[in-house]
Amino acid sequence: MFEKSLYDLIRGLRNHKGSEKEYIAESIKECRKEIRSNDMDLKSTALMKLTYLEMFGYDMSWASFNVLEVMSSPKYRHKRTGYLAAVQSFRRDTEVLMLAENQLKKDISSPTPTVISLPLGAIPHVINPSMANSVLSDLLPRLTHSHAAIRKKTVVTLYRLALVYPETLRPAWPKIKERLQDEREDPSVTAAIVNVVCELGWRRPQDFLPLAPRLFDLLVEGGNNWMAIKLIKLFATLTPLEPRLIKKLLPPLTKIMKETSAMSLLYECINGIIQGGILEAVEGTSEGEEVARLCVGKLRGMMVMEGDANLKYVALLAFEKIVCSHPHLVSQQQDVILDCIDDPDISIRMRALDLVVGMVNSDNLTATVGRLMRQLRNAPIASAPDDHMNDRGRTSGVVPYAESDDSDAEESLRHEQRSNQPPPLPEEYRVTVIRRILEMCSRDTYANITDFDWYIDVLVQLVRVSPATKAETEIEDEEDIEDSDDVGHGIGRQLQNVAVRVKSVRAEAVDAAQSLVMVDRRDQMFPSSGNGGLSVLEYAGWIVGEYASYLTQPDAVMTSLLHPTSAQLPSRTLAIYLQAIPKIFASISGNDQISWTPERKTLMTLLMARIIHFLEPLSTHPSLEVQERAVEYLELMRLGAEAVSGTAAGDPHGDFTDPPLLLTQAIPALFTGAELNPVARGAQRKVPFPEGLDLDTPINSNLHSLLAQAELEAFETEEDDVYAAYSEPPTSYLGATAPQPISAAERLDAKQQKETTSYQNAVEEEYLDADIIARRKAERRERYRDDPFYIDPDAKQGSGAVTPLASIVRAGNEEVDIDAIPIMDLDLGNGGGNSRRASEQQVPRTRSPRKAPRRVEIMGDETLGPAEGEASSGREDIVASPRRLNSGSKVKRGLLEVDSSSLGALSLEDDDGSGRRMTKLDIERREQEEAEMRRALAEVERKRLELQRMSEKVESKGEVAVKRKKKKVRKVDIGGEELENAEAVVGEIREDEGEKVVKKKKKKVKKPEEGEEVPGQEGAVKRKRKKRREIMLDEGGVESSVQD
Amino acid sequence: MINAVLVFNNAGQPRLTKFYTQLETSVQQRLISEIFTLVSNRPNSACNFLPLPPLLASSSKSSTPTTPHNDTPSLVTYRHYATLYFIIISTSTESPLALLDLIQVFVQALDGLFENVCELDLIFNFETLHATLGELIVGGVVVETQLDKVIEGVKAQGRVAKRPVNEGKSGLGLGGFGRGEGVWAGR
Repeated sequence: MFEKSLYDLIRGLRNHKGSEKEYIAESIKECRKEIRSNDMDLKSTALMKLTYLEMFGYDMSWASFNVLEVMSSPKYRHKRTGYLAAVQSFRRDTEVLMLAENQLKKDISSPTPTVISLPLGAIPHVINPSMANSVLSDLLPRLTHSHAAIRKKTVVTLYRLALVYPETLRPAWPKIKERLQDEREDPSVTAAIVNVVCELGWRRPQDFLPLAPRLFDLLVEGGNNWMAIKLIKLFATLTPLEPRLIKKLLPPLTKIMKETSAMSLLYECINGIIQGGILEAVEGTSEGEEVARLCVGKLRGMMVMEGDANLKYVALLAFEKIVCSHPHLVSQQQDVILDCIDDPDISIRMRALDLVVGMVNSDNLTATVGRLMRQLRNAPIASAPDDHMNDRGRTSGVVPYAESDDSDAEESLRHEQRSNQPPPLPEEYRVTVIRRILEMCSRDTYANITDFDWYIDVLVQLVRVSPATKAETEIEDEEDIEDSDDVGHGIGRQLQNVAVRVKSVRAEAVDAAQSLVMVDRRDQMFPSSGNGGLSVLEYAGWIVGEYASYLTQPDAVMTSLLHPTSAQLPSRTLAIYLQAIPKIFASISGNDQISWTPERKTLMTLLMARIIHFLEPLSTHPSLEVQERAVEYLELMRLGAEAVSGTAAGDPHGDFTDPPLLLTQAIPALFTGAELNPVARGAQRKVPFPEGLDLDTPINSNLHSLLAQAELEAFETEEDDVYAAYSEPPTSYLGATAPQPISAAERLDAKQQKETTSYQNAVEEEYLDADIIARRKAERRERYRDDPFYIDPDAKQGSGAVTPLASIVRAGNEEVDIDAIPIMDLDLGNGGGNSRRASEQQVPRTRSPRKAPRRVEIMGDETLGPAEGEASSGREDIVASPRRLNSGSKVKRGLLEVDSSSLGALSLEDDDGSGRRMTKLDIERREQEEAEMRRALAEVERKRLELQRMSEKVESKGEVAVKRKKKKVRKVDIGGEELENAEAVVGEIREDEGEKVVKKKKKKVKKPEEGEEVPGQEGAVKRKRKKRREIMLDEGGVESSVQD
Repeated sequence: MINAVLVFNNAGQPRLTKFYTQLETSVQQRLISEIFTLVSNRPNSACNFLPLPPLLASSSKSSTPTTPHNDTPSLVTYRHYATLYFIIISTSTESPLALLDLIQVFVQALDGLFENVCELDLIFNFETLHATLGELIVGGVVVETQLDKVIEGVKAQGRVAKRPVNEGKSGLGLGGFGRGEGVWAGR
C-alpha cells in the first residue's frame, strides 16, 4: 500500500486543485487504515496528517484512542506528535481523557527535560478536576527541576491546574512563592511567576500583599520591560488594599514614565496609575498634580501622534477605563476623542463610540449625534449577499485549497505588511452606531435632549439608514429581540416612548409614525435595499392606533393598514396593526356631532366592508395572536355594519339625525379611557394593600340585583363622561391642526425651494434627508412666525440647537416673565388663529404642571414611594431596562473564556482558621471525588474493553490471531495499571506528603509520628490524614514550633 | 491571559490554530472565519487591534458592564507579515502593546529557526511552528520573551528542518537558506 507522509499529503493537496475535498476524504480514509497499524511510525505519521487536517476543521475525535497510543510510544518524536494531537483534538467530552492521566504522570516524571515539557504543555489543554488532583503530586517536584525551562512551565501548568482545581494552590503556592523570593532564580522563571501572579492577583489581591516588597524590588531593578508591565498591572490591583504602597510606587513609576523608551511600558504606567487609584490618592499635592499632568499629557500625546493608530487605540482604551472615575480628565480631551469618531479605522471608531456615550451632555449631544448620522448616511448600506460572500465559515467549512501561485507563500515574513483596501462600513458597526445614538439620547429619560422635534427627525432618519436584518426568522420572545441585529425595534421603541412621555411633541411623533406606516411612502421612508428597519412598523402601528385622534390623514393611514401587503408582515407587527385598525376606525366614525347623512352612511358602510374584507382571511392566520384579534374585530365590525345598515340616514339638508350609538359610543368606549402612562418596573408590587380589605365577606348579600341596577344607571349617567372623554381630544386638537392644510401646502413650496437653495445652509443638518430638513424648516418658520427674536436660517446659518430664548418662548411660554423681556411686549395670549403656540396653550393641561421652565416636560415612570434599589431604573428608558435585566439573569460563560471564579473562594493565607476548616471539608470532598473517580475509571475501563472486544471481532476476520493476542496482552497491561492507579490514588497523596516532610529537614521531628500513623487502624485514618494536611499547610507554624 | 493564537494566510487558510480552552471544531472554524473577515478588510493605516468578532462580542455582552470581568476575551491583536496574519485573542489582563511585541518575538524566533522564514516553511513544518509557540506561551500564559531562549528551547527538541528544496519555485533571491540541510524530515 502506498503510504503518504505529511509532506506528501500537503504536496498532494497542492497538486489537486479543484478536487481538494475528494483528495482529503481519500486521505482521511487512508489515515484510518494506517492508524490501526502496529507500526508506530506509520501510526504516528497518520496521526500527524490527521492533526494537520484538523486545523481545517476535519473531525479527528474518532482517533482519540490512537492519540493515546502514540503518546505512550517510547520514542520522543512519536510522543511529540501524540501530545500535539491530544492538545489539538481533545475536547471536554473526550472519553479517553481518563486513560491519558497515567501517561501524563509517567512523562512528567521522566528524566529527559524535553519529555517533561510535553505533558507540561498539554495539561493546560486537557485538564479536568479529577485529573488535576492526581497529577498535582507529580507536578510539584518539578518546581525544583534543574532546568529553568521546566520550572517556568511547571509554574504556569500549576496555575491552569488551579483554575479547574483551586486546591492545587494550597500545596503549590508556598513553593511558587519560594521560587519568586529566590533572588538567584533564573529571570525567565521569575517573569513567568510574575505573569501567573498577575493572573491570580486580580481575583484575590489580598493574598499577594505580603509579596509586595519583593515585587517592588523587581520593578525597581528593571531590566525586563515585559515583567515590569505585568508588575505594574499587579500593583494596580494591590494599591486599593494597601494605600501605603502608593507613596512608594509613585517615584519609580514617574521615573519609568520619564525615562523609558518602550511605549508599551509607558502606557502601562499611565494605566496603572489611573486604575490603581493613585491619582485620587495624591490629589491636591504638588506631586499629584505633576503626575496627573504627566499622565493626561502623555495620553493626549498618544492621541494626536501622527501615524500610529495603535497608540490612539490604546489611549482610548485608557480613557474608557477612567471615564467613570475621572470624567473631568476625559472631558478635557473631548476634542481629540470626538475626532476619533470619524477615524477611518473601525476599531478606533468603536472605542471612541463607547467612550463618547459616557461623555455626552446636552451641549454636545446634537453635534455628536450629527457626526454619527453623517457617517451612517454617507456610507452605502452593504447588501446582504456581499456579506455572505465573505462569511465562508457559516455556510461551509474551510477547505484547504491549493494555492495557484506559490511565490506568495515564499515571501519572507520579515517585513510586516498591510493591505491597502478602503474600509467598508460593516453591518455590526452600523447596528452599534444606531444603538449608541439611541442610548445617548435616551439616557436618564432624555435628560440631554432639548429639542424633541429634532429627536423625532433623527429617529425617522435612522430608520432609513437601518441595515438589513439577517433572516426573516420570526422572533417570538422578547429576549431575542434585545439581542437581535434588528435595530428597528430599538428605534420604534424610542418613538413610542417619546410619544407617550413627551406630550408636547406627541403630534409630531404621531406624524412621524403616520408617515412610516403609509404604504405609498415606504420607498421613501425605509432603506431602498434590504428589509432594514421594517420592525419599526410594530411601534408606528401602535402609535397611530393609540393616538388616532392626532392623525392628520386618518383615512390614508387606514388605507395603508388595510393594504394587502400588510397581511404579509411579521405576525407581531400584524397583530399590532389589527389592534390599530378599530382604534382608527373609532376615531373616524365616532363623531356624533355630524348628522347621519346618506353620504356618511355610505362612507361608513364602505369602510367597514373594507375592514371586514381585510380581516376575514386573517381569521385563519397561523399566529394565534393575529387570529384572535382578527376574529374579535371581525365580529365587532359585522355588528357595526348591521347597525349602520339598520339606521336610516336623515336628509342631508334637513334636521340632525343621530348616528348609530354603536359607532359613536360603544366602539370608541372600547379604546378611550384613562390615558396610558409609563409605569415603573416593580411599581405594581408597591401598590399598598388597603387597610381593612376583606375579600371574603360579600359586600352585599343582594349583590346580583344591585349590580344589574347599577349597570342600568351607569349607562345613563356615564353617558356624559363618555361623551366628554371622547369628544374633547379631537376638538382641542382641531384647533391645533386647523392650520395644517396651509402648512402642508407650504411644505410643498418649501420643498421646491429647498431643492434650489438648500445646500448653503445644510451644514448643521446634512445628516438628515432633504425632505426631513424641508419639513423642519417649514415647521420652524410656522412656529416662529410671530417670534421677533427668531432669526431665519435662510438669512443666516442657523445653529443646530434651538436658541435659548426661542426655547424659553416655545416651551415655557406660560411661565416666562414677559415683563423681563425688554423692548417688546409679547402678547402670547391671542396669538392669532394659525399659530401653533397659541393653540397649544388652549390645549388643557391637566397633568402635572411644568417644573423646569427650560425643559420640555418628560413624563417619568409612575411609581409609588421611593424607587427601590433594583427599580431605581424608575426613570430609565424602556429600551435599556429589559436588557440590563437579561444580563443579570443570564450568566452565560463566554466563548474561549477560562473561568477563574473558583479561585475567588480559595484563601492562600497560610495560617488562618478558615483555611483549616476548609481543609477538613476538602478532605471529605476529596474522598468523595476519589471514590467517584474509582467508579468512573472502572466504568471507562469496562467500556473500553467492550469496545476493544467488539473491534477485535471485526478485525479478526482479516487479521491473524497472533496479532490479536499480542494486542490483548498490552491492553490488559494498561488496564492493570489503571486499576492499580485508581486504588493507589488515596495512598499516593499521603505518601507524597510524607515524602515532602522527609525532604524538609525542619519537619524531621514530625516524621516518626507520620511513620506511626501510616500503618494505623482504618478507623483512625480519616482523622490522621486531616492532621497531616494541617501540618503541611501550616508550614510557618510548624517551622516555628520546631525551632522552639 | 491569552485565549487563542491563530495564524492564517491572506486567503484565510489556517496555518496554526491554538486555543487555550477546549472549543468545538466547528466553532473554532467559525471564529477563524469571522476574524479573517475582519482582518482582511483593514486599511494599512489602521491600528493592530480588531473589534471583537460577532462570536465573541455576543458572549462579552452578556456580562454586566459594571463589574470588570477579566476572564472574558476582550482584545484581538493582529499583525500582518507578508502573506500571513498572526492573531492573538486575549483578556484585559494582557497589555495590548506588549502583545504586539510578543507576535514580533514569535515571528523573529521563527525567522531565526528557519533562516528567512516564509509561509511555506510553516506549512511544511507545522510541528515546529507549534513547538515554537509552546516555548513562548504555555496554557495561555507567556513563559518566555527572550528570543535566544525560545530558539534554544525549540532546537533542544530536535533538528528543525527547512522546507524541501523542490517545493515551490527557486530564484527567490533572498539567500541564506542553507539548501544543503534543507532535507524534509519526513518519516
